[in-house]
Amino acid sequence: MEPLQRVEAASKALGKLAAHSAAAGGSVETGAASRLGAEAGEKLDLVTLFRLREQIKQQLMEYNTTVHSGEESIPDQAIEEKLFEAATEDLEREMEQAKVSFQNKTLVLQRIQLMDALRTKLRHNDSDSKLILETIKHITMLSTAILESQQQARELEEKLNEIKKRRFALKQAGEHKLLQIHTLKKKQKEELEGMEVGEMLKRICRNLQKETQMTTLIQNIFQSIIIGSKVNWAEDPVLKAIVLQLEKNVNCI
Amino acid sequence: MSLVRPFDKLPTLNSAVILLVGTDERRQQQLAEAILKEKKNFKINIHVATSLPLPAERDHVRPRIDLIAFMINMQSKHSLRNVEASLSHIDANFFLGKVCFLITGVGRMNHCSVEMNAVRKLGNLYCSPVLFCELDSEGIRVATAQRLLRMLQICAGHVPGVSALFFSSLMKSSIDE
Repeated sequence: MEPLQRVEAASKALGKLAAHSAAAGGSVETGAASRLGAEAGEKLDLVTLFRLREQIKQQLMEYNTTVHSGEESIPDQAIEEKLFEAATEDLEREMEQAKVSFQNKTLVLQRIQLMDALRTKLRHNDSDSKLILETIKHITMLSTAILESQQQARELEEKLNEIKKRRFALKQAGEHKLLQIHTLKKKQKEELEGMEVGEMLKRICRNLQKETQMTTLIQNIFQSIIIGSKVNWAEDPVLKAIVLQLEKNVNCI
Repeated sequence: MSLVRPFDKLPTLNSAVILLVGTDERRQQQLAEAILKEKKNFKINIHVATSLPLPAERDHVRPRIDLIAFMINMQSKHSLRNVEASLSHIDANFFLGKVCFLITGVGRMNHCSVEMNAVRKLGNLYCSPVLFCELDSEGIRVATAQRLLRMLQICAGHVPGVSALFFSSLMKSSIDE
């Protein structure tokens, strides 16, 4: 009867699972109501009774306050409508949950009933029971096969994930390298540009120097010509201005 | 899931119910034992849950809950997130004094992963008192149990003339001002 016992255990586990899932959100209340035994033989003396009366009065007051605050009508129609909507939504959700819970319970109950019926049938030990046993064995075999396949699928999935992860890592590394290459190229280009500008400046400087030298030479030649022609340049104001201008040092301009 | 409401059930005579919500079950157990050890003249029910909402299955057997204490461990961010997620499952009327935040593990400040400010902000946001304690130390555990018990008494309406509504104004930390 080993397969039968296994199926029974499985159905029990399923029942537990259904009860848990009905608790939605996975909160398991382990409410352990622990009562104080000291109060068991309660002596109803006057002081206790008086205290209880005060307690009940206080609680009554609290409830009165709550009821009163609940009764207060909200003048704004929109707020009221919103409240109604929220309440309706809440109720609908609750209804849905109750439905699911009910379904789960029915399912579990049906399974338990089925198991019970099968077990009683098996006890008769006739030709039908043999068939049932065969079927159960077959089911167990199939279930084992399914489990194995699922395990394999999971392993394959894990492998796939591993490969995906590696690919992603590679891609990231590639991106990183590409970025490095890009920055390097940019740097090189900048350096090249800097060099070009320097070259141009040097060339211009050289040209300027040459021109300056030429100008100085020409100045000197003119001066020599004017002096050599033995003209009294100081008398003619135009000539005087020219000679004095030729005296200027071109480098200082 | 159904909201927990403070006033939808009638109170039981001479008894009070506290609900401890937190991820650390060992500490919950410790605190519950400490509360039970205290001397008192009323029956006390301690309910323990790791998170809200409570399962709807046993709602009809659950008594009226007078005080909800959310336990946040300073060493675990998970506990804070858990509490924040649970807060949406209780009725707004609970925040009129029937909720308190119990911050545990305050004694080891150098191992904190939850910021003190975040906790204070939470208390401020929900207008609820924040109690700081270190449940691993015997003395503080007992003191915390006594404080909770006193608050519970007030929340359950056992103290004539004092209402849980006073908590938000009377137990406010002066740093918040």
